[in-house]
Amino acid sequence: YPSPMTPMTPITPATPASESSGIVPQLQNIVSTVNLGCKLDLKTIALRARNAEYNPKRFAAVIMRIREPRTTALIFSSGKMVCTGAKSEEQSRLAARKYARVVQKLGFPAKFLDFKIQNMVGSCDVKFPIRLEGLVLTHQQFSSYEPELFPGLIYRMIKPRIVLLIFVSGKVVLTGAKVRAEI
Amino acid sequence: MTGRVCRGCGGTDIELDAARGDAVCTGCGSVLEDNIIVSEVQFVENSGGGSSAVGQFVSLDGRRQIHHLGNQLQLNQHCLDTAFNFFKMAVSKHLTRGRKMAHVIAACLYLVCRTEGTPHMLLDLSDLLQVNVYVLGKTFLLLARELCINAPAIDPCLYIPRFAHLLEFGEKNHEVSMTALRLLQRMKRDWMHTGRRPSGLCGAALLVAARMHDFRRTVKEVISVVKVCESTLRKRLTEFEDTPTSQLTVDEFMKIDLEEECDPPSYTAGQRKLRLKQLEQVLSKKLEEVEGEISTYQDAIENELESSRPKAKGALANLTRDGSVEDTTSSVFGEDDAEDEELEAAASHLNKDFYQEILGSGLSSSSEGAGDPDGDARPPALESLLGPLPTAASLGISDSIRECISSQSQDPTDACGDGELDLSGIDDLEIDRYILNEAEARVKAELWMRENAEYLREQREKEARIAKEKELGIYKEHKPKKSCKRREPIQASTAGEAIEKMLEQKKISSKINYSVLRDLNSKGGGGLQEEDAQPEGRTATRKLSRRKTPARRHRADPVTGVGKRLRPMVSAQPAKKAAAGEPLPLSPSTLGAEPARPTAVLVESGPVSYHPEDDPDEDDPDEDDGEPCVSALQMMGSGDYGCDGEEDDGY
Repeated sequence: YPSPMTPMTPITPATPASESSGIVPQLQNIVSTVNLGCKLDLKTIALRARNAEYNPKRFAAVIMRIREPRTTALIFSSGKMVCTGAKSEEQSRLAARKYARVVQKLGFPAKFLDFKIQNMVGSCDVKFPIRLEGLVLTHQQFSSYEPELFPGLIYRMIKPRIVLLIFVSGKVVLTGAKVRAEI
Repeated sequence: MTGRVCRGCGGTDIELDAARGDAVCTGCGSVLEDNIIVSEVQFVENSGGGSSAVGQFVSLDGRRQIHHLGNQLQLNQHCLDTAFNFFKMAVSKHLTRGRKMAHVIAACLYLVCRTEGTPHMLLDLSDLLQVNVYVLGKTFLLLARELCINAPAIDPCLYIPRFAHLLEFGEKNHEVSMTALRLLQRMKRDWMHTGRRPSGLCGAALLVAARMHDFRRTVKEVISVVKVCESTLRKRLTEFEDTPTSQLTVDEFMKIDLEEECDPPSYTAGQRKLRLKQLEQVLSKKLEEVEGEISTYQDAIENELESSRPKAKGALANLTRDGSVEDTTSSVFGEDDAEDEELEAAASHLNKDFYQEILGSGLSSSSEGAGDPDGDARPPALESLLGPLPTAASLGISDSIRECISSQSQDPTDACGDGELDLSGIDDLEIDRYILNEAEARVKAELWMRENAEYLREQREKEARIAKEKELGIYKEHKPKKSCKRREPIQASTAGEAIEKMLEQKKISSKINYSVLRDLNSKGGGGLQEEDAQPEGRTATRKLSRRKTPARRHRADPVTGVGKRLRPMVSAQPAKKAAAGEPLPLSPSTLGAEPARPTAVLVESGPVSYHPEDDPDEDDPDEDDGEPCVSALQMMGSGDYGCDGEEDDGY
């Protein structure tokens, strides 16, 4: 069996060695939630906002989008809101505030409570091909590789609690982080 | 009675022997069913729906399904036993809950295939079950994770004998297989197999091997055997073409093994794209530079033209000459003035910046201008007067200062303890753009109303109903699903007894006519058994029978250990039947009958009133998702047994 080409040595899965290699993952998506603190009438919001869609049969929330920063928000009648699509924490916060402002302008006493980032997705390129079969052999407990179903290897790191999708071309997608440091 | 079709010969003449519990085809003699009736059954009721893990019951049904499916895959007995063990483990971990049993069975079988290394693909299983392969894959992955079983990765070499056999190479089968194996190994070394479906690689290898041995196998034939798409196969062939091995002749290939290894195709593609992008960037930069050069040339040319223009004569010429003289003088003494101007410009520019930065750059500019004795204008005087002052940079605290300033600006946004919306950085005009004006809002409202008219109607009806119920004082608050209470299983030896006990437990009204119920049950043992055998057989013959099929087969007779799916139905149905007051005709399996039956039930419901549309999906988590019509199970088996919602159905 030829020696695996991957320089990824079988290290303990605790510490990712990303800092030393100098490759910094780029954030692609941030999902956050915030509580607007008051009950909302989704029909009013949907009918008076330019960029809102509401299909109660399909889904019980208003889907609103803004262009800057380019994000999408799901606004529920309980007053809770989910904001997705931002590329940085600050942008996510700004976008959520914009949505809240729109709701305010539509006549609801919206506030901005408990803003919390729920998930961050990043991607990066390690610039060398990765031998997935070798990886799944050495890190059995954490890896799941099923070429019939998905071409990438799914690596579930325990600490920090991140899921990585590793592809043979060297591209890696990281998801499940709550703070930037985890990625 | 709808005709059952024999699997072996396709004949419809099925003989059911109640005594032996068999269903035999009279045409070919194949036994379609055995163990139709189990004489001894622990009639156990489980709350919460789904499987009731009572040893005998589970093994009966699960085992049979595994055997049935396994036989279709031609798995040996050892594999089937292992699969059954997996299944038992899965049941004990409650993995069968909320999942179609067929999926779990298939996942167990596939797990065995992987651990034993049999050449069975997940695709085969999904073909048999007519289920999306990714859905099966999900179940399989979950099963593997829960059971902590690590399935070894699939080796495409395992599939070669199977596919080669299907491609019918005759005597040269072995040689072609060997060649294909060699090709595969070469592909592996060239990193072509990572992340790809093994069947696709096999297909490519076999195609090439066949051609090498003078067999004409078209791409279409290969893909029909290997079950990949034509474009996939072509892509694999192209990738192989790109490797240096493809340049060898047939003989050379069999003897020589090239040393170098290639990079995986996706990696090379990615690198190529990167390089292209870089090239583009370089090109665009070069373009800019060239443009810059061009513009400088332009300026120089214009200047030359200016200077080489013949000097104008006369008063105007004087003026212009003065100007030009001034220009020339300025160009001679230019440095001072120019530097003055420069300094002034720099100073005015710098004055806009922070104090420290001013000092810092003021220092540098003043040091530059030190050679210039009195050219300094007013603004830089400060710097020159004060001389070298300690700058933030020199003190090394510029960073922390910046941090303080920025954190101050951040704090108000962070400390939203009172929850007030911080409007900093939000442009009001922009927000206003997101709100429709009057006319637009009206139009949108109209459109939306039209779109959602149906939904609105339903809502109104619902509200009206609730209001009516409130008046009548029987309005039930539909609370969200609570955890199921465990009830002691009812011990009963016959179905009738069990039903009675269950009804008592559920506190259903005493209006049920038990005698009628008993009559239903004992409507002639043979007849019942026959009807039993039918659904039985259908379970066997159509493994992919959806959840609904058992639901439709509402049977008064729960005796058989037919289907786990039937189980929850069984207790529900007799009660409903009793409520209906008459035996509903057994019209199994035809989908057409299905919508009819629920309505029939609705109509005939007597003493027990129920509102199907009210039913929350409390019961049977095994319900089909996304099916448009409400299943009979949903309609019949929940909510309105007279339970006030406090007591759980257990279905």
